[in-house]
Amino acid sequence: MNLFEFCYGLMHWLVDILNNIWYWLGDFLPWKFGDFFIAIGDLAKAHGTIAVAAILLEVLIIFIIALVSVLNFIWLDRKFMGRIFDFYGPYYVGYRIGGWLQNLADGMKLFVKEVITPSKADKAGFLLAPVVFVASSVLALSTIPLSPDFGVAVNRAGDFVPAGALFAFAAFAIAPFSILVAGWSSNNKYTIIGGMRSAAQMMSYEIPLLLTVASVCLMAGSFSFVDIVAAQSNIWFAIPLALGFIVFLVCIVAEVEIQPFDLPEAEAELVEGWTTEYSGMRFGLFMMTSYLRSYVAGALVTALFLGGWHGFDFIPGPIWFLIKAYIVFIVLTWMRWSLPRIRVDQILQFGWTRLMPLAMLNLLIAAAFKTLGWF
Amino acid sequence: MAQAQKVTFSGWVVRPMMRTMTQFIRSFVTGKPNTVLYPYQKLDLPPTYRGLQTLDFKKCIGCGNCVEICPNDCMWLEKLEDPELGKIERPGVDIGRCLFCGFCAEVCPTCAIHMTSEFELANRDRSKLVLGPTAIRDDTYHERFAEERQKQRLPVLDLSKCTSCEKCAGECPEMCVAMMPMDGVGTSKPEISLHKCTSCGKCAEVCPEKCLVMTDVYEQYFEMPEPKFVLKSCTGCSACAKACPADAIYMLEMPGTEKALKDGKKGKPKKRAVFVLEKCVGCGRCFRACKFKAIEMPGVEK
Repeated sequence: MNLFEFCYGLMHWLVDILNNIWYWLGDFLPWKFGDFFIAIGDLAKAHGTIAVAAILLEVLIIFIIALVSVLNFIWLDRKFMGRIFDFYGPYYVGYRIGGWLQNLADGMKLFVKEVITPSKADKAGFLLAPVVFVASSVLALSTIPLSPDFGVAVNRAGDFVPAGALFAFAAFAIAPFSILVAGWSSNNKYTIIGGMRSAAQMMSYEIPLLLTVASVCLMAGSFSFVDIVAAQSNIWFAIPLALGFIVFLVCIVAEVEIQPFDLPEAEAELVEGWTTEYSGMRFGLFMMTSYLRSYVAGALVTALFLGGWHGFDFIPGPIWFLIKAYIVFIVLTWMRWSLPRIRVDQILQFGWTRLMPLAMLNLLIAAAFKTLGWF
Repeated sequence: MAQAQKVTFSGWVVRPMMRTMTQFIRSFVTGKPNTVLYPYQKLDLPPTYRGLQTLDFKKCIGCGNCVEICPNDCMWLEKLEDPELGKIERPGVDIGRCLFCGFCAEVCPTCAIHMTSEFELANRDRSKLVLGPTAIRDDTYHERFAEERQKQRLPVLDLSKCTSCEKCAGECPEMCVAMMPMDGVGTSKPEISLHKCTSCGKCAEVCPEKCLVMTDVYEQYFEMPEPKFVLKSCTGCSACAKACPADAIYMLEMPGTEKALKDGKKGKPKKRAVFVLEKCVGCGRCFRACKFKAIEMPGVEK
């Protein structure tokens, strides 16, 4: 039973319970009102309605998994950073569970803070940018399945979309556009520098990133996540394509813009980068989404290189997938709190003269493996 | 000019990551983080930490040296009545103005003031920061903590019993006891050169009147001002002797100064002050008490 069938069954059960009420009302009330409620019941009972509701429920489940992961990630990040820097990290709020509730407390604080729109800001862009940023990041989650049975973008037969990887990377790459819009519309020198840096950074990392993805798709012979993961049932792609794995890891760090590559949000140079003018829960959304992007990055690395949901049988596939994504995130955090930030005049040189030749070499290796018939 | 060392891949990436991982293992796997959770755990402060002052009422003689030396003028002497000690003067401290320099503890000649490691002194009310002598009183502090100041055993003279027999001067192996004549009194008193004294105690053993007593005296950090006596201005009013907190001033009669009264009898002889400088703490109270300019004390303000 896959996720869609489960949700469909659940919604069908719910609709049956509710329809008892509608039909009882339809019998009980005078003829006009009764017809109205019977019509509602018939509409709810239709296959299309239940399917739409089931898809919404699916989206909700995937989204809740992502949000809980975000809470865990913020907690993990702060705890791990604390231990790396020789202090405790969050401790008091929920001290029985290691300060896990601190994120919720911070979120509540951000909710009660005033939401300010600068008077000279470009209102439309200023308000649109968070929406695009959050929506595009969440959209990237839609085609990433946690297991063959656990994903959103499936057809009625249970097959995933054929070009899921392409779509995920396309949605994932929208964010620099919204960052540029946010930086420009805030009408502030720090934000505009941050937005421009984001655009410049995208030029440098996007090509090697997609070249390594191309090598993986070449090895698997498909753009679909399910086929890519199925091709890794014997050996993870991280082993034959170790070079590509490292290049991909570096590029994905640049993509989610965390510390060694957080040029748009360089706290030491620009105040808070492109989020300087955003206050209250808008900033909270940006922060939450940056961790959501970390989760997507972990999921992508897991699906493309670490064998996705393959593992020992006693743990179900989605749990394996999440464990691997969490481990990838911890590695990213380790890089994040260890490495110095790359300078803005080095990023393009780094991307085009270091990462791109390595990515090309990696593509060559993948082609060689494929030609030899080993995969 | 030295060439800067070239940082390679290992310097940019490998070594920082190994460094953070060792730190993580050190603070999570094998040990605990370096920080402490403050309100519940506290750091062990060094014994010489300078926190709130504590005052030993039994050791304090009320000389006021601490009040004199306080750079922020945050100490004062308060007159109070103690059931055990009678009428006394003891210092209080305003920790709102205190800069915790520790001069009061250093200058105290009897080590009655100590700086404790108590540092949580904040209060919502400014007037609660002004602590009187009873608020900082702790007579058992010196029993619980080792004295940080060195003691010296010295013979201290009780001049009221001394008969000027000169036995102590003859007994001293270091020849540091000298019999100094006292102008007007006619007798002499032993004066001890303190930096020559080896604390052998022979002078105290030989004293027939037991007026030289070996006493523990704290070594001084500060050089004390000494009172200088002007005999011709002294009227013998004994105001200085009453003011002296260390009982270092004795009023001795000067024979031959009696006035002839109307009925032919002789009156009482005039008195003069004699200073036993081994006991003096240099507080300048005698200087302030004297109304006839008979005591000079360079370096002390009136």
